[in-house]
Amino acid sequence: MLEKLKAVIEENLSVEGVEITEDTDFKEDLGADSLDLFELVMALEEEFGTEIPSEDLEKLATVGDVMKYLTDKGVDL
Amino acid sequence: MGMDRKTRITELLGIKYPVIQGGMAWVAEYHLAAAVSEAGGFGIIGAGGAPAEFVREQIRKCRELTQKPFGVNVMLMNPEAEAIAQVAAEEKVCAVTTGAGNPGRYMAMWKEAGVKVIPVVASVAMAKLMERGGADAVVAEGTESGGHIGSATTFTLVPQVADAVTIPVIAAGGIGDGRGMAAAFMLGADAVQLGTRFVVAKESVVHENYKKKILAAKDIDSQVTGMSHGHPVRQLRNHMTREYLKLEKSGASFEELEQLTLGALRKAVVEGDVVNGTLMAGQIAGLIKKEQTCEDIILAMMEECGKLLEN
Repeated sequence: MLEKLKAVIEENLSVEGVEITEDTDFKEDLGADSLDLFELVMALEEEFGTEIPSEDLEKLATVGDVMKYLTDKGVDL
Repeated sequence: MGMDRKTRITELLGIKYPVIQGGMAWVAEYHLAAAVSEAGGFGIIGAGGAPAEFVREQIRKCRELTQKPFGVNVMLMNPEAEAIAQVAAEEKVCAVTTGAGNPGRYMAMWKEAGVKVIPVVASVAMAKLMERGGADAVVAEGTESGGHIGSATTFTLVPQVADAVTIPVIAAGGIGDGRGMAAAFMLGADAVQLGTRFVVAKESVVHENYKKKILAAKDIDSQVTGMSHGHPVRQLRNHMTREYLKLEKSGASFEELEQLTLGALRKAVVEGDVVNGTLMAGQIAGLIKKEQTCEDIILAMMEECGKLLEN
């Protein structure tokens, strides 16, 4: 179930070949800046058919945060 | 006819000319903002790193100088950003522009107070999210700008943002005269925002030494520092930038580099220290050759732009 999410992250942050786990931190481990996170959110919305308000962005520091966030919203990962 | 130009932005903000003055920290205080608004543009008080009560005072002093609408720029990295956001709502300023982050969590409060919200964006995705969050317009700011910058150029960013959102777009970065303004309209903008040209306005309280540096600057005299830690800043090159870039190249830590720039903008603006101060300016500095009143700047731009667009 991490696979679909991984694919979105890899494509949007151009980080193919980097190991991604639940603990991966977007800024610390993947070098993402705030603009990258906006890109990622747009892609996640499209992929999972949900809406992520921009004020929720600051809750999403790691891959695990995103998984929990989407699951809480009822997204079937 | 050339002079008058009604756009969605002049309607939104209730101003005569689609010319916005950038909310530059330290530089954009109430004298400058009031002068721009009095001249028919849209003046902005730059809250920068100032305390919230100082910003409230600036707003009130600005109101003593003009009855016309003006705004406040909230720098979201300021530890007092939340308190400043509240002051903007309480004082019911016409509009806020926001920089260095995501204003999502203040949106509802501002809307309720009738404050228009205009985030500065550096990418299409950010513009789209801001529109969906309720923004009234966006400033699409290219990397030609002075101060904190993104990486897309104005020429590429403005049309892409204009295509991606339905709210009006204000073009910023590299615009210094009527030609730049006309070009911005061609790219799909509804207004322009200028920073550097207003730094050297007669009503700007910036130290004379700083102004002279901008007036003497050539096209290639700006440099970007801070790229390595993800907070690039454009400024005129001087002793400070040389030292900074040397340190940055040697792999200095973010903290070490911060130490060098701590208070450096104030040094340049207030004390006129052009050696160790941060002389924030855009790439258009080389085009700017004289100190003029805000009114002269705006009228000259409108006239030049009008003629070009009539042809």
